[in-house]
Amino acid sequence: MEKILQLWEASGIYNISAGQVTMIAVGLFLLFLAIRKNFEPLLLVPIGFGGIMANIPEAGLAFSAVENAVHFAKPEVLQALAASLNITSVDPNEILHAYHGSNPSTHHAATMVAADSGYSNGMLYNFYSVAIASGVAPLLIFMGVGAMTDFGPLLANPKTLFLGAAAQFGIFATVLGAVGLSAMGIMDFTVQDAAAIGIIGGADGPTAIYVASMLAPQLLGAIAVAAYSYMALVPMIQPPIMRALTSESERKIAMHQLRHVSKTEKIMFPIALLILVALLLPDAAPLLGMFCFGNLMRECGVVDRLSDTAQNALINIVTIFLGLSVGSKLSADKFLDLNTLGILLLGIVAFGIGTAAGVLMAKLMNKLEGGNAINPLIGSAGVSAVPMAARVSNKIGLEANPQNFLLMHAMGPNVAGVIGSAVAAGVMIKFVG
Amino acid sequence: MDSLVSEGLNLMVYGMGFVFVFLTLLVFVTTMMSKLVNKFFPEPIVEQKAKASAPQAAANNDELLAVMTAAVHKYRK
Repeated sequence: MEKILQLWEASGIYNISAGQVTMIAVGLFLLFLAIRKNFEPLLLVPIGFGGIMANIPEAGLAFSAVENAVHFAKPEVLQALAASLNITSVDPNEILHAYHGSNPSTHHAATMVAADSGYSNGMLYNFYSVAIASGVAPLLIFMGVGAMTDFGPLLANPKTLFLGAAAQFGIFATVLGAVGLSAMGIMDFTVQDAAAIGIIGGADGPTAIYVASMLAPQLLGAIAVAAYSYMALVPMIQPPIMRALTSESERKIAMHQLRHVSKTEKIMFPIALLILVALLLPDAAPLLGMFCFGNLMRECGVVDRLSDTAQNALINIVTIFLGLSVGSKLSADKFLDLNTLGILLLGIVAFGIGTAAGVLMAKLMNKLEGGNAINPLIGSAGVSAVPMAARVSNKIGLEANPQNFLLMHAMGPNVAGVIGSAVAAGVMIKFVG
Repeated sequence: MDSLVSEGLNLMVYGMGFVFVFLTLLVFVTTMMSKLVNKFFPEPIVEQKAKASAPQAAANNDELLAVMTAAVHKYRK
């Protein structure tokens, strides 16, 4: 009988908390969105599944060794942990509090005590440390994106860089919105949190994760989920804004064909961009450095094998670990609060403002160039989200004028948006990091 | 609390300003780079294209059409 009781007390059903049930439901919902609705499945499948695994009771997959040791709360282990952290209380909550606030040497000592007692880091915790806390996974993804990006349309019409800049207004407007909500006492965000939330408006998953991991790791789960869900919703969020801000005749503007861009130009561009980053904004160097490196591998033509790996095998491997790591941050205590709702809300506002700013900038540029040179629809592609946003521009353009293919013209602002959001990320890290 | 808002405002003004300055410089650098490259390292293929006769251009179009159809087809999958 005693054995049966023991088994029962070690079971998931006995130990599960309401928060874990809710988070498993959230994970299942993400899987549903990914599998049935085809929302960014490459990321939401690993994120959703990671979220479910992180909330399995008693398994402690998303916790560090010390957190696991405290969870199982054997008196002698708690005593040893308290001693290593120089506190007298053996209350689990106080030990955890001391552990999170400890200096590196006592932190290390506590970890060793937990390891000696037979507790180890959860699998997802390890993935998170290696892939995201170190910054490696988002940067490798950026390298792969660089290797997939063709700067031809941008080089043929460099002015589209302005559209990529304008669309970043969404990021900064959202930062203001987030601190405004905190100032009014509705939410509780620091300026670092606000900056990390704003980056959702950059519509760039790896950039958002990179910035969040540096400025607001506790919000990373919500920010990543918001960023990827809204990227999947680009075809629904953008068109109404684009239609509202442009007139029928503006949408009909046909753009003339882009000039031919030579191979030398394409090779020189990532190098020129990297030099500019090095001179002006070293804080954006990790992101844009890897991006330029990936692009150079693509364009130089002598390392096709490396370029192929970066844009296929490697980016797939990294995506798996990135998704599972993000999932590990979907724990009930961090995800189920009002702030997450605020992040989801602010994220969509960021997207909307970015789209509007891009379209308005394109309208302005069109006016300056005589009113018949730039179709304002390509402005919305300034919010990265490559290549979805460019396809949306193309689609709305075709609705107005079936002969007008805007796809290549929209790719210019689209890749400019990637550069723009990476620059914005560098500025954020510099100012509030 | 006001300091938080003013921090946010600062971040917006400087951040947006910097993004624009950086990308404006990038426009100049890119334009210059393209001009220099096209002046000193013109692509030999461009000249050949200029000489190409009309039928060849039509053939090119067919090829382009085939490539695009294939690409669209692949994407639709």
